[in-house]
Amino acid sequence: MNNLKLAWRNLWRNRRRTLITSASIFFAVFFALVMRSLQLGSYDHMYKNAIESYTGYIQVQHKDFWDEKIVDNTFAYNQQLEQQLLADKNVEACIPRFESFALASNGPQTKGVLVMGVDPDKEIHLSNVKDKMVKYRLSPEAIEKIRQDPNLPEKVKELAILFENSAYTNNSRLQLDLGIDDKKASELMPAIEGHAAFKNGFIHLGEPGVWVGEKLSQYLQLGIGDTIVLISQGYHATTAAGKYEIKGIVKLPLPDIDNKIVYLPLDICQDLFNAEKNLTSLALAVDDNQDKAIAQTVQRISGLVSKDQKVMEWREMNEVMVSQMDADDKGGQIMLGILYLVIAFGVFGTVLMLTAERKREFGVLVAIGMQKKKLASIMTMEMLLIGLIGILAGALVASIVILYGVEHPLIFKGETAKIFEEYGMEPKMAFWNIDTYYIWQMVIVAFMVLLAIAYPLRKIFGMKVVNALRA
Amino acid sequence: MIWKTAWKNVWRNKVRSLVVIISITIGIFGGVFAIAVMNGAIEQKVDATLNDEIAHIHINDPAFRDNYDIQLSVDQPEQTIAMVRNMPGVEAVAPRTVITGMANTATKSAGVQILGINPESEREVLQLCQTTIPGTGDFFDAESRYQLAYIGEALAKELNIIRYRIDESMLDSLAKREVPAEVLEKLVPFSGHRFKSEKSFKKEVKGVLSMKEQHEYGAVIKEEAWSFRARSKMTLTFLDKDQMQTGAVFRIAGIYDIKNSMYEMSQVLVQNEDLAALTGMASNEYHQLIIRLDDLESTKVVSESLKGKLDGLEVMNWKEIQPELAMMTDMVSKFYAIFMVIILAALAFGIVNKMLMVVLERTKELGMLTAIGMNKKRVFSMIMLESVFLSLVGGVTGIIISKALISATARKGINFASYAEGFEAMGYPAHIYPVISTSFFITVTVLIIITGILSSIYPALKALKLDPAEALRTE
Amino acid sequence: MKILEIKNVHKIYNSSEVKVHAVNDISLDFEKGEFAAIVGPSGSGKTTLLNMIGGLDTPTEGEIMVDHTNLAGLKSSALIDFRMRNIGFVFQSYNLIPVLTAKENVEFIMSLQKWNKKEKDERTYELLKAVGLEDRINSRPSKLSGGQQQRVAVARALASKPKFVLADEPTANLDSKSTETLLDIMEELNKEEGITFIFSTHDARVVKKARRVITVEDGKVISDERKK
Repeated sequence: MNNLKLAWRNLWRNRRRTLITSASIFFAVFFALVMRSLQLGSYDHMYKNAIESYTGYIQVQHKDFWDEKIVDNTFAYNQQLEQQLLADKNVEACIPRFESFALASNGPQTKGVLVMGVDPDKEIHLSNVKDKMVKYRLSPEAIEKIRQDPNLPEKVKELAILFENSAYTNNSRLQLDLGIDDKKASELMPAIEGHAAFKNGFIHLGEPGVWVGEKLSQYLQLGIGDTIVLISQGYHATTAAGKYEIKGIVKLPLPDIDNKIVYLPLDICQDLFNAEKNLTSLALAVDDNQDKAIAQTVQRISGLVSKDQKVMEWREMNEVMVSQMDADDKGGQIMLGILYLVIAFGVFGTVLMLTAERKREFGVLVAIGMQKKKLASIMTMEMLLIGLIGILAGALVASIVILYGVEHPLIFKGETAKIFEEYGMEPKMAFWNIDTYYIWQMVIVAFMVLLAIAYPLRKIFGMKVVNALRA
Repeated sequence: MIWKTAWKNVWRNKVRSLVVIISITIGIFGGVFAIAVMNGAIEQKVDATLNDEIAHIHINDPAFRDNYDIQLSVDQPEQTIAMVRNMPGVEAVAPRTVITGMANTATKSAGVQILGINPESEREVLQLCQTTIPGTGDFFDAESRYQLAYIGEALAKELNIIRYRIDESMLDSLAKREVPAEVLEKLVPFSGHRFKSEKSFKKEVKGVLSMKEQHEYGAVIKEEAWSFRARSKMTLTFLDKDQMQTGAVFRIAGIYDIKNSMYEMSQVLVQNEDLAALTGMASNEYHQLIIRLDDLESTKVVSESLKGKLDGLEVMNWKEIQPELAMMTDMVSKFYAIFMVIILAALAFGIVNKMLMVVLERTKELGMLTAIGMNKKRVFSMIMLESVFLSLVGGVTGIIISKALISATARKGINFASYAEGFEAMGYPAHIYPVISTSFFITVTVLIIITGILSSIYPALKALKLDPAEALRTE
Repeated sequence: MKILEIKNVHKIYNSSEVKVHAVNDISLDFEKGEFAAIVGPSGSGKTTLLNMIGGLDTPTEGEIMVDHTNLAGLKSSALIDFRMRNIGFVFQSYNLIPVLTAKENVEFIMSLQKWNKKEKDERTYELLKAVGLEDRINSRPSKLSGGQQQRVAVARALASKPKFVLADEPTANLDSKSTETLLDIMEELNKEEGITFIFSTHDARVVKKARRVITVEDGKVISDERKK
């Protein structure tokens, strides 16, 4: 009779309890995995947004630029460096930038803005700016047209009013906000797209003209074709001022950047700040964006740059966000810790009962000749099986949810979406694919079960057969 | 009788009951305390926002908030102020001018909102003036022939008005504060050095200190290295009433620290008469009135009655000014409930297991009780009561411990210094005073009772299925 | 041939209030092939004596030699092993392993001793046949009557070919018909195969069948009669 078979039958004899105990472990594992997946997924999503709309994964900068973002802390464009950087196996493109601050105004409205001089063609390698250009806008005129349209349902009209002045970079978000399901989309969307269409234009090197963030455009009440005035301090404390036509409006998924960004063609921007051919940074587009690959790339590149330059990775450049996410992460882990503690006690309780209930049986087994070691190993196996059933079932169900979630992130619509947006978040919750965090949850649960086993093992090894038989 | 028996039954197998009770205690304690910390952080944020930043009610031109147009000032300001001040429930009113502009120092610049205030009335409405970092100024108290500005710590750092430096006197004062010699020695190479920013200071200092030293002395070193140059100046530039660019040099009249870097970065306070001279506005012309109420609870009533009385002006209470703050308070309470329910669900598994065991173990006894005429309803309720008692003992203990720890930490607070930057960037203090309302404890108690009842249903049904005769025969 | 010698054995329980002299200087010898009953009222010390003989409990004083081995000289795991090879147990409340079938219960000890499958199967069948349960081989204990369970317990006790079988009140929970069947089986095993049985009992039917009756009272042997 092998131990495993005996252990299995013991579990089956008490299947109700086995199931309840396994279910509690299942519950904890499932919860922990799905919650971790959502947490990690949302961090990744936030980081990706920040990286793709602003910092990039790696930047080469003047060594003082990050601490003091002034025009004097810039470096001259150097083709040789660019060639060397591009030769690195993980670097796909070098994106030159000139970044500074200015006061933007439109008549009485003024606001401090982030001016970004970019090469629009190269910028595509890092952030797909085209995808971020506003294509639809629920302007008051657009809403009026929607309201007048006899073919559109009332609910759509109500939602359109709720989302007045919202801008969209694609039609699927517009469809969601207006609460139109996929079946009706082909019927209703073309008309709405027609009403809400937003004519957007490009900027090019050599042509004065700007793109502004969508929130900034709302604040300054600027539209396509309007003029924006930028005032700042140029190279060597000269005055920098310029007037530019707004060519396009972009909507970045980071509200904090969206409400202050102005994109200028790189050369126009350098002219504005009297900065000749200087750059504030070279952002690098990378092939492999895993943490390890980034760290290695940073190390390799650090050898290439001059001593006036330094290489920064996205974590340093998004320090505040990383620290926020860290705090949030710790909070989540504390919650899981509490949950696990509760489950651990539940498992311990079960073990306690199981041991008390079978005291006599243990006595008999030892009386007729079973060694205590063997008995202990059967007991251990039983508990591990209970744990394993819970863990595997939890992991399995969580995997189904997560694998589905990775393909179909939770996207909120209607009023809920509005709440998310007012918080400055995208109304979307992404899942993080199955990864090492899985192993961690399993290790924790397995450890918990092993800890609980200590009790019956102590009981078995300290058992007096005569007393046990009398039980 | 049933109650008494159920209560005694809880204690029949002490060890087993205690395991379940302790698990409930830990679960409830962990949940309640974690929530108290979160709730404390949020209440502090609401308090701080209302006391330091926005007060309770704002009054301005209906179009003013759209883009802060300098032309949109409040009509007949004196009468309006007098009228509002005499409203029941209003404690104080302060008028303000609000202008968008840029702050510059020799090397840096930042976009800011310039608030033209009247120091006396401002003091009555907001407590911002009390958050001045010692040694940086006195919030417009001293007479000065210069124009003065009161700015936030984050902006001061950004503009290099606050710097970090290590020199002999700084090392001396560190020695006085019992920083060991070996740590000081590591800092000596930096002597005479001014750091460009907080970040570069942190980086350099971290580079020479061990983790343990950073942890123990980091805060003290940072505090001592912090340096403010008295008589620092900055330039404020903005557009005047005629859309012409204007500006002036302002001397720093104090640096405020409210642990909210976003606000600190963007709000600069100057005296209204100074600002009016530059903008060309009349010295009694204002954009906004901010109002402090006697009682937070009366916000809605007072703002409604003001709305009725002030035609042509926009009256907004803090919930309307910062809808995300109001919404967060709502969302978060939902989150608390979900979190407690998850914990209780996890606890329920343990309770069900224990109660099932109880029923199977007492087959004979339950059979006997049925045999001597106890009806099914009573058997059922006896088991249910035992489960509820079990849950309550654990739950109430958990609540008592949480309550004790909350009161213990409420005075000194809990410091999450290592995450300070993240917290402050979100506008939350990193030093949290846990707090939770009494009604939350009542809700939790009710939830515990419900959990006890729900967890007993299956075991109790099992007990009813027992055949009394069969039960008696079992050896 | 002596298979069991009990020499001046004492057992004293020291509880907080009273000192109980449960076994007070008992000396007994058992030969191979005996069919002996230890009788006496409850509390007379017979179960304690039996537990000490089985190596489940240790004497306060005196020694117990099973097949010339002093039980006191064995360490706990060696004792468990020795017990498995030399002593069979039958308990008052059967104590079969509830999750195993009749066959598996009987096989259990043989498995612990790593017998090969063929030998195990043969011996198990033989034993279950001997106790008249060859047709219930695959039943779980819960499907068997008390008498049948006790017969499986006897088969289990014999599995490792022990020197003797200790049966602590084996018939206490059985009705008279089951008792009779069980006793007949044991008597037959004793006569045909020469297996030694030592019972503790106060059941008159068992006493009637026994060929040696040892009466214990207050921890002392007051009579030791052998029948023809």
